[in-house]
Amino acid sequence: MTMDGTQKTPTKRSELQMARSMCWHCQSEVTGEYFCEQCVKVQPLSKEMDYFTCLGLPRLLTIDLGALEAKFYELSRTFHPDFYQRKTDSEQNISLGNSAMLNTAYRTLKDPIQRAEYLLRLEAGSAKDIRTSPPADLFEEILTLQEDLEAYRSASDQDPATVARLRDKLATDRELLEQRQREMDRRLFELFTRWDALHSRQSRTDPASPDFQKDATAVLKEMREILSNRTYLCNIVNDLTATTA
Amino acid sequence: MAYSDKVVDHFNNPRNMGSFKKDEDDVGTGIVGAPECGDVMKLQIKVQDETIVDAKFKTFGCGSAIASSSLATEWLKGKTLEEAQKIKNTDIVQELNLPPVKIHCSVLAEDAIKAALNDYKKKAEEKK
Repeated sequence: MTMDGTQKTPTKRSELQMARSMCWHCQSEVTGEYFCEQCVKVQPLSKEMDYFTCLGLPRLLTIDLGALEAKFYELSRTFHPDFYQRKTDSEQNISLGNSAMLNTAYRTLKDPIQRAEYLLRLEAGSAKDIRTSPPADLFEEILTLQEDLEAYRSASDQDPATVARLRDKLATDRELLEQRQREMDRRLFELFTRWDALHSRQSRTDPASPDFQKDATAVLKEMREILSNRTYLCNIVNDLTATTA
Repeated sequence: MAYSDKVVDHFNNPRNMGSFKKDEDDVGTGIVGAPECGDVMKLQIKVQDETIVDAKFKTFGCGSAIASSSLATEWLKGKTLEEAQKIKNTDIVQELNLPPVKIHCSVLAEDAIKAALNDYKKKAEEKK
């Protein structure tokens, strides 16, 4: 986290919490988690709340999918618009807003790739200087593959032997790419474990220490790189699958 | 949000699609990608006496990315290297009327122009 970043964020957060700790309806202090204990009105989830907090999980990359689902169902029942049909407009709107946020949070955290993308966005403070440029040969390779694909598409009226040969080549290419995708995913999950280990260590050692910062940034950077390259590979694999299927 | 007529026109009738031989001395090649969507764009310029005499592109991506690169090649032709350097993604956004979610396509086109210019300049330097 940057020096001036840490200066500003806490003030803003505490202000928000101040605003949130007062019931929108009866103005009394909200002590309950989602409802005001005085007037029993549902309270809006803070827009600043991150998805991990929203679903009661620590900000880690390896998550307990069972716990995630259980919390999601519990909160869905708490906020579902069906249960607010006979309440006031304000309460209906809060129920709708909370449900929408909850759904997005669940969808994002359930999928490991989206979860990692989201964490990278959250960590933007420390990760914003990360600019990746994929290896130039990856683009070359993709362009060549796309040209082969074009040749295959326009070859469908040529002699069957040529078409079959092109299709076999594309099928082999696809298998190789899928293998690389699997390797990328394996490495990505290794990084998940490293990130999580760093953050359980964080509770014991000083998070501001240069070593911790260096390690954390290195993990974020490699994750960013893999996720970007993965997108390019996914696109070409999808194109290959769609054309040769 | 629908595509503007200009985007549709460039998409249906892409200008200057194709490629030059990469290793020729008078050709500059830029290959760039957008990690957000996985689009890949190749843009090439052919230069004579500091002027771009021809340009070609190949883009594998969405309609806006294709239109942005097609438009870029049109604009590049006849420009000097210095003038080409001044093309901004915002010019492309304006001309094609791109919606906010597609602005990164115009950024990609600007990056491709810059990369092609740099590639040509590097080649020219090496030749000296």
